[in-house]
Amino acid sequence: MKYINKSHKKAVLALLLVALHFTACNKDFLDRKPQGDADVANFFLDGNQATQATNAVYNQLRSWECTALPYLGTTDILSDDADKGSTPTDALYMLDMDNFTFDPANSSISGVWSGFYRVIARANLAIQRIPNVPAMDETLRKRLLGENKALRAYAYLLLVQWFGEIPIITEPLSADQYYTQTRKPVAEVYEQIERDLTDAIAVLPLKSKYPSADLGRLTKGAAQGILAKLYMVKHDFPKAETLCLDIINSNEYSLLPVYRDIFLPTGENGAESVFEIQAAALDPVDGITGPGATPFNMVQGVRGIPNLGWGFNRPSDNLVSSFELFDPRKSATYLEPGNDLPDGSAQIQDNPEIIGERFNRKAWVPAHTGLQDNGPGNIRILRYADILLLAAEALNENGKSSQALVFLNQVRQRARATAPAFPPGILADITITDQTQLREKIYRERRSELAMEQHRWFDLQRWGRQSAAMIAAGKNFVANKHELLPVPQKEIDLSDMVQNAGY
Amino acid sequence: MKKSFTLIHFYGRQLLSLVLLLAGAQMLSAQIRVTGRVTDAADGSGLIGVTVREKGGTAGTSTDVDGNFTITAGTDATLQFTYTGYALKEVPVEGRTILNVTLGEDPFTLEQVVVVGYGTQKKSDLTGAVGTVKSKDIERIASPSIDQALQGKIAGVYVTPTSGEPGAGATIRIRGTGTLNNANPLYVIDGMISYDASFINPQDVASIEVLKDASSAAIYGARGSNGVIIITTKNGKQRKDALISFNSYYGTQQVTKKIDLMNAAEFGQVYNEFTNSTYFPSPASLGEGTDWQGEIFRNAPIANFQLAANGGGERFSYNASVNYFNQSGILKNAEFERITARLNTENKLNSWFTLGTNLAYSNSKKQLAPTGVIGSAYRISPVLTPTDSLGKFTDPTSPYGLAIANPVADLFYKSNNHETGDRFFGSVYGNIKFGKYLTFRSNYGFDLNGVKKKDYTPVFRVSNSQLLNDDRLYVENTQDRRWIWEQTLTFDKEWEKHHLNVLAGYTAEEYRFDKINAVRTDFPGTGDDLLFLIESGDDPTQTGGGRSYDEALISQLFRVNYSYLDRYLLTFSTRIDQSSRFRKDLRRKIFPSGSVGWNIGQEPFVQNLRIFDRLKLRASFGILGNQNSLASVRYPTLGTIQSGLYAIFGPDEALNQGATLVNYANPDLKWETAQQTDIGLEFGFFKGQLTGEVDWYNRFTYDIIAAVPIPDYVGSGSNPLVNTAQVRNIGWDITLNWRHSAPFSWNVGAIFSPVQNEIVKLNEQRPEIFSSFVQGEPATRSAVGLPIGAFYGYQVAGIFQTEADLTTYPRFGNEGLGDLRFADINGRDASGNLTGQPDGALTNDDRTYLGSPIPTLTYSFNAGAEWKGFDIAADLLGVRGNQVFNAKKTFRFSVYNWEASEYAGRWTPENPNATTPRITNGGSNYRVSDYFLEDGRFVRLRSVLIGYSLPSSWLQHAKINKFRVYVSGMNLWTSQKYSGYSPEFSNNENAFQVGFDNVSFPIAKSWQVGVDMTF
Repeated sequence: MKYINKSHKKAVLALLLVALHFTACNKDFLDRKPQGDADVANFFLDGNQATQATNAVYNQLRSWECTALPYLGTTDILSDDADKGSTPTDALYMLDMDNFTFDPANSSISGVWSGFYRVIARANLAIQRIPNVPAMDETLRKRLLGENKALRAYAYLLLVQWFGEIPIITEPLSADQYYTQTRKPVAEVYEQIERDLTDAIAVLPLKSKYPSADLGRLTKGAAQGILAKLYMVKHDFPKAETLCLDIINSNEYSLLPVYRDIFLPTGENGAESVFEIQAAALDPVDGITGPGATPFNMVQGVRGIPNLGWGFNRPSDNLVSSFELFDPRKSATYLEPGNDLPDGSAQIQDNPEIIGERFNRKAWVPAHTGLQDNGPGNIRILRYADILLLAAEALNENGKSSQALVFLNQVRQRARATAPAFPPGILADITITDQTQLREKIYRERRSELAMEQHRWFDLQRWGRQSAAMIAAGKNFVANKHELLPVPQKEIDLSDMVQNAGY
Repeated sequence: MKKSFTLIHFYGRQLLSLVLLLAGAQMLSAQIRVTGRVTDAADGSGLIGVTVREKGGTAGTSTDVDGNFTITAGTDATLQFTYTGYALKEVPVEGRTILNVTLGEDPFTLEQVVVVGYGTQKKSDLTGAVGTVKSKDIERIASPSIDQALQGKIAGVYVTPTSGEPGAGATIRIRGTGTLNNANPLYVIDGMISYDASFINPQDVASIEVLKDASSAAIYGARGSNGVIIITTKNGKQRKDALISFNSYYGTQQVTKKIDLMNAAEFGQVYNEFTNSTYFPSPASLGEGTDWQGEIFRNAPIANFQLAANGGGERFSYNASVNYFNQSGILKNAEFERITARLNTENKLNSWFTLGTNLAYSNSKKQLAPTGVIGSAYRISPVLTPTDSLGKFTDPTSPYGLAIANPVADLFYKSNNHETGDRFFGSVYGNIKFGKYLTFRSNYGFDLNGVKKKDYTPVFRVSNSQLLNDDRLYVENTQDRRWIWEQTLTFDKEWEKHHLNVLAGYTAEEYRFDKINAVRTDFPGTGDDLLFLIESGDDPTQTGGGRSYDEALISQLFRVNYSYLDRYLLTFSTRIDQSSRFRKDLRRKIFPSGSVGWNIGQEPFVQNLRIFDRLKLRASFGILGNQNSLASVRYPTLGTIQSGLYAIFGPDEALNQGATLVNYANPDLKWETAQQTDIGLEFGFFKGQLTGEVDWYNRFTYDIIAAVPIPDYVGSGSNPLVNTAQVRNIGWDITLNWRHSAPFSWNVGAIFSPVQNEIVKLNEQRPEIFSSFVQGEPATRSAVGLPIGAFYGYQVAGIFQTEADLTTYPRFGNEGLGDLRFADINGRDASGNLTGQPDGALTNDDRTYLGSPIPTLTYSFNAGAEWKGFDIAADLLGVRGNQVFNAKKTFRFSVYNWEASEYAGRWTPENPNATTPRITNGGSNYRVSDYFLEDGRFVRLRSVLIGYSLPSSWLQHAKINKFRVYVSGMNLWTSQKYSGYSPEFSNNENAFQVGFDNVSFPIAKSWQVGVDMTF
């Protein structure tokens, strides 16, 4: 120890500390990764992750924007099928949708815009990355790509119908592209939708060919149905006819015997179901809502006693009076005070907060775990009856009215199955073959069959009857303006897009 | 040169004395032996090593370990007492043989030692802008945290209480708001880095230094751009006997003001008008109704007890303290209590090795009241009572809508919400001296912070919307862990006219956060002993979650201080930081700074003027970073895959995991950087009676990370972050002090901090950021040339008073009589360009700049006086130039109550000339407009205090050094334009949403009585 004098000791101690320090902080010291989450560069590594990314697109379809007030405000409430509902002063921006007093800042409009563009964004990422996933089952790869493309097409079809010209985005945007998108001609949007659906139809399995556990995924039939809708929108009736007949002849689908059963829990994913947004009331994490819910049932639920929801989307007087006499579908469409709930669990009482309350029966769900927020009802997007009526409409437009009658009457026949025996002739088969007259019959049938299922606004649009119907319903509709919704103000403020005429 | 000068000086003096001696031998007074004790004015303890000299004489001595001295002096001589950091004191002997003297710290002395990063410096040697607050000024504020105590104390430091919640901290902005992100300063507590100092007991603090300019903060490199607050806690002092001190205060707090709301009669009237009904047949008979604010607020006690011991010998010194603080909130059920303990020690183990520790423990308990009740109390109908005739909580939803909750019921059911914090914070260091000039220091700092939350809500039902069907317990445990290890080497040498100080160092730091939370519902009972999680994996009512993240930083630091003749000062410092937050190739950055100083006052030609006691000019420039700009985004460059995006498939409705990129990230993100120029002048006149410091600064922040709003078509769940913006803060820090000492000592001071905040650049593609959306419309627009978060919306031009108005003026369409009429100020030409001219239509283009949320001037005045044992002090502070957005007024979805002013002046068919709109809850009146903007200026009497110290002669027998009692008040008087509780609405999270009154916990005014004792 003699050799180590005091200054040596000091130096040794200091160096020891410094050395320890460098040992503690090795070269990976600064490389930190998110904990509990993957980062996007390390995702899409296998088929499982590719499936998860696809599931996330379905997930977005259950969002508030895609199922609740924004969605209903831009479909049923906008149309003559429904009024705002709820208490007079609740969510007044929805009243603006009902009355056509909305402006581009309305959150119902910005809601569906952002909600469905998020569907597109999630699908875009999956479509970009799934082809490069190493070593995954090729059949699964193709199917997932097909699902994503069909989902993307579904979102674009809604957006193009609401807004007309819209940006077409098919890949995740990079930062320098965020502000530079422009609205593309409607024809280009149609082409994009057609391309996606054509690809999807080529690879997606039929409904019956999916494993049972995958029930609810986009099928070939669903993709064909969405494409048929596109053709109807484009007034390309020959192609629509072909597709609808393809679906019919696939023998994958049939009508449920009893109309009102479609909307019961037992009707979910039934024989008639072509495309449904899947939801379930699972055990809520927070006692309120579980991971499989949608707000669709809650926002339309009976408000008052029993207290099942917020009571938005009131079936309008106009709709109620549009049904044919004794049409059993009328009472299957709405609930009023004095009615029993569909499962007989309670009778609806008058709610003094609301005058003339009326609720969408098709959005009713029986008691379930969690609060109202834990809405379990699948949202019926595309039913076989819809396909049959599209087929009828297309055939009639193509001058094949007698063929059209076959499908039209299939729908009526099912509808009248539960009608009272007296008076006779309720919802009798239609026999008119005059194209113009039959068109009116088909249009009316569509409204009765698909009431409060968010189709009406789009049907009126492709028939060119928005103005007439809205004015008849007493709304402040301005022709050559309100046919399309305004692009949300935020989007105009943030991009180079030009607003729709009149706004 | 200096030596010979002194010699001449010395002999000159001797010669003069000799002449005087010869000239008047009879005048020569008798020499006597004077003994006495010098004590510290702050605590009455003896001061060791005070120099005692006869004025004009040569005889000198210094005090011993007890503060005692003995000196031989003339009977009519004057004794001078000097002590580093303390004000010089002159006491005439006047024939006395026993002379006890107290010395007080001098905050203005040239010799004052200032704590800077990784060292200390004499104030006179400083070339940077550093503000100091001493313990005396901190202790005066009855607050559990030092940040609130800093309000109005230092020029350029703008402090806003985040809320009046007991135990809540404050938002601190040093020299303006330098970024769109986290603009909070860095805290360095006894050398340990922290982002929060709320756990520090203010009474343990010796001094707080605020490093304001680039030169002083540059040693903290990547984290210095928002300024650095250095907190130094009290250290042990060498004394014979330990000094024991006891301090305590007790007081009561109440809300500073209540908002003037409509009473029941007025509400009934308005309700009838609003619903066009006679729901209330006779509104006037409803009377005053319920004062809901009175139902939720209370007079709340505040109490503090501190016991401390301070002492030491030649080799070992210590300061130990225990503190208990208890504060109830002015909102019922809000409670806070905290115990802190601290032990600071320093041990000179041998001639070359010193080992020190600074260890602090704090344990805090909070009961959180549901603060939403303040909003409910503001909105609920005064016609209702808290409970009905049966004692049940009133259901307020019918007919006023489901969105209304009964605040008294919420307070009752939702206050079983507790937060317990345990924090162990401190550092251990060793200093090794190599020879005379070189010191190696190794400092290991640690911070362990565990917080447990427990929130239980029982089953209850007040209304269809205010209910809980299953009782529910939420439990959350979080743990923060941070360690820092720093190795520094300091070289310090003075020779001839030179003084050189060189610092070099290497530091590493790691931070980790872990959270686990769980929920259990459906309890077998409601006893407190049942409210725990259980060890049952299968219990379906019990679920859990959690979160973890970490980060690391490695830095090298280097600084040179050089001075020549104590007049010419030069500092250069740099820090190289490498942060784990950024991509590998972008994570390293150098932050250099340099500064110069000139002590003009010490130049002979200035000294000859005999005007200035001191005069110093200094200038600095440097570059700093803001690594913490993204406080909540830990991995900002990585696009994180979000899981839990479940899809349901199959006949069994099975949950299928979904995961994807939801929020878009920017991998190219890099440092946010600020460069600051500072020019400062320090001066003193009139023998140090008037001192002042004036700084001009230009603080320019660039590459500011902004979550720039992007169009929704991108599909990102949130706005991605981009290095895009530039912000400039130009301002002045002006401090002036006048002090007058014995016999009646008093001081007054003033601080003015004007600052202009301006966005210089945002984003090439988008020159504006819309934010703070109120019902779908942005309430702020931040754009080049405007302050951050500038208010934006329509200008109110008046009211649609007549039918003619409805046709004359442009409307959106849904306005009716009595509604607000917005100004048409802009339009577009045929090619779509803005014209700046009215176009006869109201459109989005008519929205405009409405005001700034950032004050252009903050100022404060302070005054103090001491006389015969009495001491008084007062602080006044104020701000000007800012606006407040009264956001709580914009929500009228259902039939909420209105403010009385809206009732009084409202438009009705009978009052068509009104300037206040009709009562309505829809239409365009609630669009964002200056109708909701109010002037944010205020002046507040922050603190006022009167104390009395018992004369020491009374206390000596009881062996008490000092006994002082005082009465103090906080926020007793405020003059404000704003109609809400207080116009201060800071926002630590979002720079675009400052000055928004969304109803927060209001601050309190309080009275305290206190006692300080030392033994």
